[in-house]
Amino acid sequence: MNFACNETDDILSETIARFAAEELRPRLREFEAAGSVSQDLHTRFEALGFVAVDLPEDLGGAGLGLTTRLQINRRLAEADAGAALALDRLGPAAYVIEAFGGRDLLKRYLDLLAKRPEMRVALVIDPDVISAPKSSVRGEAAWIASGCADVLVGLGRAGAWLLESGFVIEAVRGAALHAAGSSRVRYDGRPAHAWHDPSSVARALAKIRLYYAALIWGVVADAAGFSRRYALDRVAFGKPIAHHQALAFLIVDMHIVVERLGLLIEDAARRIDAGEDGAADAASAFIDAIEASRFVGPNAVQILGGHGFMRDYPVEKAMRDCRALGLLGGGLDAAQDDAGAGLASAKSQELAA
Amino acid sequence: MSGFSAALCCHVERAREWGQAEVRPAGLEADRNGAPLSADHPYFARFIAWRRAHPLPAEDDAMPEGHAVRMAVLNEENAYWDRGMGVAAPGPGLPTPLVVAMGTPEQRERFLAPFRTASTPRWAAFALTEPGGGSDTSAFRARAIRTDRGYLLNGSKCFIGNAARADWVLVQANLDPDKGRAGQRAFFVERGTPGMTGIKIENKMGLRAYESVSFILEHCEVPRENLLGGEQPARGSRSGAYGETMGALNTTRVGVAASAVGLARCAYDETLSFARRSGAISSARVRDRLADMRRKLRAAWLMTLRAAWKADRKIPNVVDASMAKVFAAETAHELATTGMDIIGLEAGAGECLVEKLFRDAKALNIVEGTGQIQRIIIARNLVGLPR
Repeated sequence: MNFACNETDDILSETIARFAAEELRPRLREFEAAGSVSQDLHTRFEALGFVAVDLPEDLGGAGLGLTTRLQINRRLAEADAGAALALDRLGPAAYVIEAFGGRDLLKRYLDLLAKRPEMRVALVIDPDVISAPKSSVRGEAAWIASGCADVLVGLGRAGAWLLESGFVIEAVRGAALHAAGSSRVRYDGRPAHAWHDPSSVARALAKIRLYYAALIWGVVADAAGFSRRYALDRVAFGKPIAHHQALAFLIVDMHIVVERLGLLIEDAARRIDAGEDGAADAASAFIDAIEASRFVGPNAVQILGGHGFMRDYPVEKAMRDCRALGLLGGGLDAAQDDAGAGLASAKSQELAA
Repeated sequence: MSGFSAALCCHVERAREWGQAEVRPAGLEADRNGAPLSADHPYFARFIAWRRAHPLPAEDDAMPEGHAVRMAVLNEENAYWDRGMGVAAPGPGLPTPLVVAMGTPEQRERFLAPFRTASTPRWAAFALTEPGGGSDTSAFRARAIRTDRGYLLNGSKCFIGNAARADWVLVQANLDPDKGRAGQRAFFVERGTPGMTGIKIENKMGLRAYESVSFILEHCEVPRENLLGGEQPARGSRSGAYGETMGALNTTRVGVAASAVGLARCAYDETLSFARRSGAISSARVRDRLADMRRKLRAAWLMTLRAAWKADRKIPNVVDASMAKVFAAETAHELATTGMDIIGLEAGAGECLVEKLFRDAKALNIVEGTGQIQRIIIARNLVGLPR
């Protein structure tokens, strides 16, 4: 049992937090209006070496594990979750490619991404995939948090596929996470790769859920912190509104929720990094993230009152972003199915550290 | 249990065996009777023998966990079997950290040493709460007046654990009311001291396995050497004053959080067993609720462990401990409540363990700083909430 951060993680976390605060946060609304982040920002981000930080070194990664990756997601999302998604051109599709196609296939796409700076890989969760498609896959996702895609990866209940063609991306207005772009994707094509392997689905989905949960963690942590600072500045009835007990307690409860979420995410990630089966824990952490987003997002707006409703402040964006993030990764219901799937046979709760 | 040393896991396993064989049945017996087991109940003699055979672990190479983590792990396991019996366990109990931190060497020897060698059950108690003030310690009215021979105590105390069977009760009373709360000191009142009257064992909703006692101090005189910390504390040592008493009590918060986690785990396990036995587990709605219980249980445990882990490293943990205490206590009650929903009518029949836990758990969000007091403590740190 260890709650300490190692020195490498501390340095990384500090570096990424500085990048996020200096490069992302001041341009929040600019990215949102553009529906993307600039290419030069991509270049600067990738130069920091944070892309594929959790992947093995022979694949060009840093071999630091999922726990570190999630810290990076959290720090980026504290500034702008949409930009965090935009900057990760392979995104959580990496976990599907790795789980099903292995390291060689993952390396192939990492090499392609390195050669083609504008290339994007998008992920759709397609529950209809229950076996390896024999010929073509067909369907649509009403929304993906990406403005474009050169490769489309689909993950279903029992298998996965990868399309290099045979899909159409159509821009949609999007409800949130605008910096990443918003599209509807329709696909009808013959996969370059198709797999059937339920255990790989569980492995990939666990990481995907934690990937999004960590983004939500960042958004709610920032929303809780921002609204706390606002409540200390804003005076009503002769004292900071934070000193009215109703709001003081609300702020406390928001921070408890954020702490709880962080502990569950890191706990699940540590298990996965240790080679344990973290599927149920990852699903639980994702559910907790959605619960946190429902509580912290709207209450951050509430603390700012009318100002919170206005786009002059970032909390309205936080409320929308964290809600939308919870729709990704297969959504809440599927996570609940997986969190409860082992209950019929699992041992009683073991409070292992 | 992984992640802990083999030596600690071994102690937990022993506590589990003892809990299953002795603590759970004793707790249920007390709950059914609506009263604690009598002080001469054979359970307590067996407890003394068991404790002798399995003394609390000391920190050494075989058990690298710090004191706070060890106690959190063991408190969790003990409360899993019965929180009330844990409080009822013979020993100096709650006042121990106060006497250790603030007592004079003579007081530590006189009041704590007998417990180390006792072959029969003995108890001690700490009396802070009064009928007119629980959380608001400035409302406490108990007074101490210096006399030629010692101190004269007057006032009322309530909800004091084990006080009717205690060898001594450490009583908080104000020696210098002009200083407000800062004038409060603690006094050892030994059993049989004239003036300690009106002893009443409360009839409680839950946690019936230990006695919660109210009593009156009426011209109750104690000798000077019974003032915790002495009349003139040694230079640099703690004086036993109010702030230090509260500081020492803060360390118990993590222990209460761990107990709440143990109680919550019991509610989860019992509900899961019922759901499997009855076939309710086939319902997705029931599985969702159980998964939700499991998630919150895990989060409460991680919060508690982190607070203990920081305490062992002398990392400030006031916020962590309060967060753990409030979240674990509320989780325990929520899990027992949800468990009753899943179990249904059987939970209303009066013989259901989860229903007992539902009653027991409520106290954990009240004792040693209510959930609201914990939030005030956190808010002082987060937003500088004025006192």
